[in-house]
Amino acid sequence: MSNPLSRREFLVLAASAVGSTTALASLQRLLQNSDPDSVDIRLITGEEERIVPGVCLLCPSGCGVVTRVSDGRVVKLEGSPMHPINTGSLCPKGQAAPELLYNPDRVQGPMRRVGERGSGEWESLSWDEAVGLVAEKLANLREAGQPQRAALMFGEARGQLRSFLQRFMQAVGSPNTISRDSLNVAGAKLATYLTQGIYDMPAYDLENSNYVLSFGASLLDAGPVPQRMVSGYSYLRQGRATRGKVVIIDPRQGVSGAKADEWIPIVPGTDAALALGLAHVIIRAGQIDSSFVHNYSFGFDDFPNESGTRLIQGFKSFVLENYDPETVSEITGVPAATISRLAGEFAGSQPAVAVLPGKGGLLNGSIGGLYAAMAVHCLNAVVGSIDRPGGVLRQRYPAVRNWPELPDDPIARQGCRADRVDGAGTRFPLARHAYQAVADGVLDGYPLEALFLYDANPVYEAPGGERFVEAFQRIPFIVSFSSFLDESAQYADLVLPEPTFLERYEDHFIEGFGYPGVGLRQPVINPRLETMSVGDFLLRVAREMGGPVAEAFPWQTYQGVLRQRLRLEGADWETLQELGVWMTPGYRFARRGSEKWVNEVVGSERRSAPRDGYFDFYSRELSCILETLSEEERERLGLTDDGNDPNLPRYVPTEFVGEEDEYPFMLNVITLMSLGPFTAAANLPTLQEISGMTVDVTWDSWVEMNPEEAHRRRLENGDEVWVESPFGRVKTQVRLVAALRPDVVNIPYNQGHSAVGRYARDRGVNGLTLLNPESEPVTGLAAFTNTRVKVYRA
Amino acid sequence: MARWAMVIDLDKCVACQGCSIACRFENNTPAVKPSEALKGRAIRWNDVFPIPINPEEEESEEYPNVKTRYLTRPCMHCANPPCIKVCPVRATYKDEEGLVRQNYDRCIGCRFCTVACPYGVRYFNWHKPEWDGELAEANNPDRLEGQGVLEGPAVRPLGVVEKCTFCIHRLHKARARAEAEGRELRSEDYIPACVETCTGKARFFGDLDDPESIVSQFEQSPRAFRLLEDVGTHPKVIYLREG
Repeated sequence: MSNPLSRREFLVLAASAVGSTTALASLQRLLQNSDPDSVDIRLITGEEERIVPGVCLLCPSGCGVVTRVSDGRVVKLEGSPMHPINTGSLCPKGQAAPELLYNPDRVQGPMRRVGERGSGEWESLSWDEAVGLVAEKLANLREAGQPQRAALMFGEARGQLRSFLQRFMQAVGSPNTISRDSLNVAGAKLATYLTQGIYDMPAYDLENSNYVLSFGASLLDAGPVPQRMVSGYSYLRQGRATRGKVVIIDPRQGVSGAKADEWIPIVPGTDAALALGLAHVIIRAGQIDSSFVHNYSFGFDDFPNESGTRLIQGFKSFVLENYDPETVSEITGVPAATISRLAGEFAGSQPAVAVLPGKGGLLNGSIGGLYAAMAVHCLNAVVGSIDRPGGVLRQRYPAVRNWPELPDDPIARQGCRADRVDGAGTRFPLARHAYQAVADGVLDGYPLEALFLYDANPVYEAPGGERFVEAFQRIPFIVSFSSFLDESAQYADLVLPEPTFLERYEDHFIEGFGYPGVGLRQPVINPRLETMSVGDFLLRVAREMGGPVAEAFPWQTYQGVLRQRLRLEGADWETLQELGVWMTPGYRFARRGSEKWVNEVVGSERRSAPRDGYFDFYSRELSCILETLSEEERERLGLTDDGNDPNLPRYVPTEFVGEEDEYPFMLNVITLMSLGPFTAAANLPTLQEISGMTVDVTWDSWVEMNPEEAHRRRLENGDEVWVESPFGRVKTQVRLVAALRPDVVNIPYNQGHSAVGRYARDRGVNGLTLLNPESEPVTGLAAFTNTRVKVYRA
Repeated sequence: MARWAMVIDLDKCVACQGCSIACRFENNTPAVKPSEALKGRAIRWNDVFPIPINPEEEESEEYPNVKTRYLTRPCMHCANPPCIKVCPVRATYKDEEGLVRQNYDRCIGCRFCTVACPYGVRYFNWHKPEWDGELAEANNPDRLEGQGVLEGPAVRPLGVVEKCTFCIHRLHKARARAEAEGRELRSEDYIPACVETCTGKARFFGDLDDPESIVSQFEQSPRAFRLLEDVGTHPKVIYLREG
């Protein structure tokens, strides 16, 4: 060894030094000679280093990333300073992305099932064969005049891919392009639609808000765009002259509640009452934005019916009559004084904003969840926080969302007119998607003959997902595009793995600031495995099918699609590749009542009610939809006349499954910052290792319990327990969490996989298996928070 | 000569653990097996964890008046570091810019330093660092080498102690770049991975000897405090209280 003193030599020397002063002296001399301060230290690094921009896809945020490629290997991701969502930041999921790229359990190439469904026996096939098989299947369905028997379920697709997938299915002739929205954001989107007339998640101007009231939203760790919320939060705290206040309303404190100024542990499922109670106090105190509610909204005051024969009760008198602080306190468990104070703070700290969650309490299995979201959104309108600084923004997108007209094709036209397998628009009149209900549709006899799964793992991620295993038995042809053999892909006939987000072209619209923008994914290294992006694959299928389907997709590659269409938007491809992001920053507010206001901000997406720029406290859109329903329909949907006007947001008590006597706890399946909402993240060892940071658990599940409740059952931290609902039971360990309502228990999401890979499999439990699999009858939303459980020692 | 320091604003920190994992991929600390993680042998130089409330100063923990607090903890790079005093082989030492460094080539794994450190930020390699399959492809190739010196992200041998280096290799890179561009090193040239990734923009880094630097300014903040200020270690990681 050339080193003057390596560790081994030192040890040898040290051993001989015992009893030998000469040796000791030489040892000391050596130590001095090799003083690191005096040694010439060289920096070794890669020979060839590159930085490539892209967009992360380990949660829905879509943060810009820059990837360091050293000698052809991806060694590190950083947040892209150019991207507005994260401006250089990156959360642990994004940081762990190299474990996704180099994951040992990725599907190596296209595979065809050879054994029984789910037997795990596969053979590889070529991409040409795969294209041929899929094209043939779809062509056969079209020839038989039944293209609607093909369906595509998809999860995350926030760029052009979303409409690309829909266009593909429409060109084939199927109305069945089914988004995962009904498991998360559809409730908030629908509420915004029924009040503001825009079917989308609102964006929130946290940066300029003085007071943020977050309803059931895990604002900072699990919202629909977590990093955007964190960025806004951080700025509101210490980035400007005055520090904004944050209040978290949630049965569980979580990290968001811990970081907030105030945590309101509300009775689960009563958010509507609290929002309306706050509105009550604000209205009574005369702290409303009078100009807004009287000139730019509908149904705040009582109004005459069409024939002018009687007055219909408006929001104001309805709320004043029914939601005084004492009544609301009874319902929500929040002290009346607190309600009055919060209302005063909210109205007195303008601009203030009430934030809707991506999921959580809104998905409580009854139409009350929808009303809750409407009530929260109306709270913004009461104080005029619609489209103004510090309030609600209308999210704009690049115009590339609109595609050229599809070619005229009678087969497709007829197919697209068919009912959907998920019952959206039929069984569920308000639903646009009912992802979890696809299983019900199939089991009820919808003759699905081909099912495509893109970033979709319904067997795992839908409440009562096991129904999909049964439903899959009735579908003769199932294709999964998953990069991992997840719970759903293992039942597929073809697994056609897509490259990871670091190996493919894709765009991702920037959501959360209101203004339009797009981030670009691109291959930072050559794809490692025999993968093909779903866009490229479907373009090849379209070409193979010929006729009108091919005509609808004249592009050779998905990269070509992006390149051509983004250029139409004015985005220069080379610049986009270099920066990874293109946007028109700076949100432009609309003057109330102006043309821009009417065309873009309030009411422009209404399908039935007037697009007149009025914000609906009294939902005319809902009224139009409900009017079309027959008496029997209403009965089936549980919309029987209870004396309340169904078009006003109101509190509807949650109908829990499981009697309180037997099942004392409401089960809440929580999303973690670490494991996030996407299946693949569960197979990243680093995220497994840090997943239970808040409760000192690693590589496992747990159930959170209030200490007092636990002690009453003689349960201590770490005890093994069964958590049992009327739908099943799971065994896991107890964690005592003081900052939790005594009547609620939480199980974190994204553990308990039975497939995916070595790190995810057989680790912890999947809380969703305990949940009520019934969809909400009117909106088609999955029911995440209306199941009770009991907890007992295992 | 610079005196590098870090400021962590707990009012902006959202306990996301981004720092922890940015550090992992920058400095090559692999995930350990679940059984080892359970024993607390996972190595993350910058860990994030909930801290109990001090009952002497605050209300007792009765629902609903409970507030969980989170702390993120790198090496404090103390001005008076106890770890270097107990090291029998000068494997850990403080350099002239105040960075407390760790030379894996000299470390004999006696773990005196892990005991001496009052902050618990020194980690022992109970196992040879290992990555499954091709996960090692993502290893950062950066390292510092010299005669008898091995530092930075260099993959550690079994049985040595390691810790946060304030991403010392990034300092060397920044210096090389400044030199190549024929200019002085600027404070903003050198940013550790955790500071760069921080989702809440809660971390700041700079030179305490420069009165204009952001860290010098924050040091004056009424919200500023250091961990275990009374034990005389003089940490160069400065926290800012919530509120």
